[in-house]
Amino acid sequence: MISRLINDPILHISLRQLSGPKRLAIVLLLSIIPVVVTSIIVAVNGEVDHEFASGMIGTMFAAAIMPVVTMTLATAAFGNELEDKTLSYLVLKPVSRLRLVIPKYIVTVMMTGPLLVVSGVIVALVAFDADARTTVAVAVGIAVGVVTYSSIFMWMGLMTTKALGFALFYVFLWEGLLSSFLSGIRVLSVRSYTVSIMYGIEDKNLAELDQFSIRLATAAVAAGIVTVLFFYLTVRRLRRMDVP
Amino acid sequence: MTLTDMGTETGASVAVTSQPEPTIRVDNVSKWFGNVVAVNEVSLEIRPGITGLLGPNGAGKTTLLHMINGLSAPSEGEITVLGEPVRNNPGIYNRLGVMAEHEAVYGFFTGRAFVEFSARLYGLKDVPAMVDKAIKAVNMADAQHRPLGEYSRGMRQRMRLAASMVHDPDVMLLDEPLSGTDPRQRIEFSELLAELAAAGRTIVVSSHILEEVENLAGSILLMISGKLAASGDYRAIRAKLNERPYTVSVDCSEPRRLAAALVGLEGVDSVAVDSEGRVIVLSKHVSILQHAIPRLAQDTGVRLERVEPLDDSLESVFGYLVDA
Repeated sequence: MISRLINDPILHISLRQLSGPKRLAIVLLLSIIPVVVTSIIVAVNGEVDHEFASGMIGTMFAAAIMPVVTMTLATAAFGNELEDKTLSYLVLKPVSRLRLVIPKYIVTVMMTGPLLVVSGVIVALVAFDADARTTVAVAVGIAVGVVTYSSIFMWMGLMTTKALGFALFYVFLWEGLLSSFLSGIRVLSVRSYTVSIMYGIEDKNLAELDQFSIRLATAAVAAGIVTVLFFYLTVRRLRRMDVP
Repeated sequence: MTLTDMGTETGASVAVTSQPEPTIRVDNVSKWFGNVVAVNEVSLEIRPGITGLLGPNGAGKTTLLHMINGLSAPSEGEITVLGEPVRNNPGIYNRLGVMAEHEAVYGFFTGRAFVEFSARLYGLKDVPAMVDKAIKAVNMADAQHRPLGEYSRGMRQRMRLAASMVHDPDVMLLDEPLSGTDPRQRIEFSELLAELAAAGRTIVVSSHILEEVENLAGSILLMISGKLAASGDYRAIRAKLNERPYTVSVDCSEPRRLAAALVGLEGVDSVAVDSEGRVIVLSKHVSILQHAIPRLAQDTGVRLERVEPLDDSLESVFGYLVDA
């Protein structure tokens, strides 16, 4: 199964398509911003205030950097193929739509997840004196966020050629603004799932995240449902759409 | 197929006797985008051999091919290929090869890698051998290791054809495959497709240039404004086209004198001078006219300023076939 996936031609071509130098540079630069900010604060003050650090993880990281990095790649997973009209090469083959979506999704998660998790882990290690539980909490929260966002943005990439614009609008309006002020919509916010999982695992060092949180179990289940739902919608869209 | 099918209105179907079973059936199919009707109640059957899908740009050929190959869903009607529906039936592509109209390719691939990519998606067992065979068939062995991005348009078309036939399909749908090819490549293309058709395959080749399919297709389907306007044997249609009268407009220094000289010319059906002083000549033998006008002008001392055909557009050619 794994060897079949590794040799999958769609996985390989998706990797090539998403590995453009400009796109990778954007993803890399955005990912290291929290590390740079933390390093500067440590260099200036000698340490990072826990309150500031958890606030940075809950807002800058979970509400801005993580979704923007993920959308950069996930909207392009199918969006690029739609734009340059190469999607027909894939859909005109004896390959199920599910088999088209799985490798593209895996590539998106594998290209964004490790980068963002490493970035978050470095911030957690530096800011929280290498506390293992806090580090694990941040890593797990980011991983769940990437998996969920990737599913949503991959679907957006198939729905419109202006997916990046719509995704930015969604992230800053829904995830950034509304979910901060309207507690009722947190159950429908990926940012909220991310910080809730972090807070659910480590509530002392990450106490600042309480203000954006819902229950850990609710966040985990909701993230799973949203991921599966948008994954299904992507497959469904691919089955029903007219491919240019 | 006979010329009796020509000139039928929408939904014209092809009546064929003593022919193999159709491999492609299009039954009362329409496609619209908002208020625009791209394909209007088309019914047709396509059998093994080469069929040319002809029509001017915007006639609905590509939309129809997209529905036959499964890229688009018909707004109305049904399509089957080899007895099966095409939409949401990936298994059909084991027996169907498609070369879409657009020329987009993965620029980072070499030609060979592109064909290999297709072969692997088709799940072929002996990928190297099948790729070799397909590349050799399109005569691209020498250039197979060069990046697709460096290919000329004609080379890219040939490699795209190789990718669409690498799995040895029973049915091939080729949208404008001759676009960008030079005359020598067209001859090679024709020979290759004839060979594939002789082995019992069904091949559909679309084009907006009548002459392009001259050496390719035994029968043609003619689309105009989203409708199947005519269908039939290519030779019969070509013969009909040769009988078509041409209208030529001549601007000259003394139109009445030139008109008088043209009246007696063999093959000229009528001559008139219009209100703007142009000589309007109607003839079925345009080649005679091409030589005669300069000669007559010289003989009669008339200075020619401009000679132009008035109805040489594709639409008028196809329109003539429909009206004939």
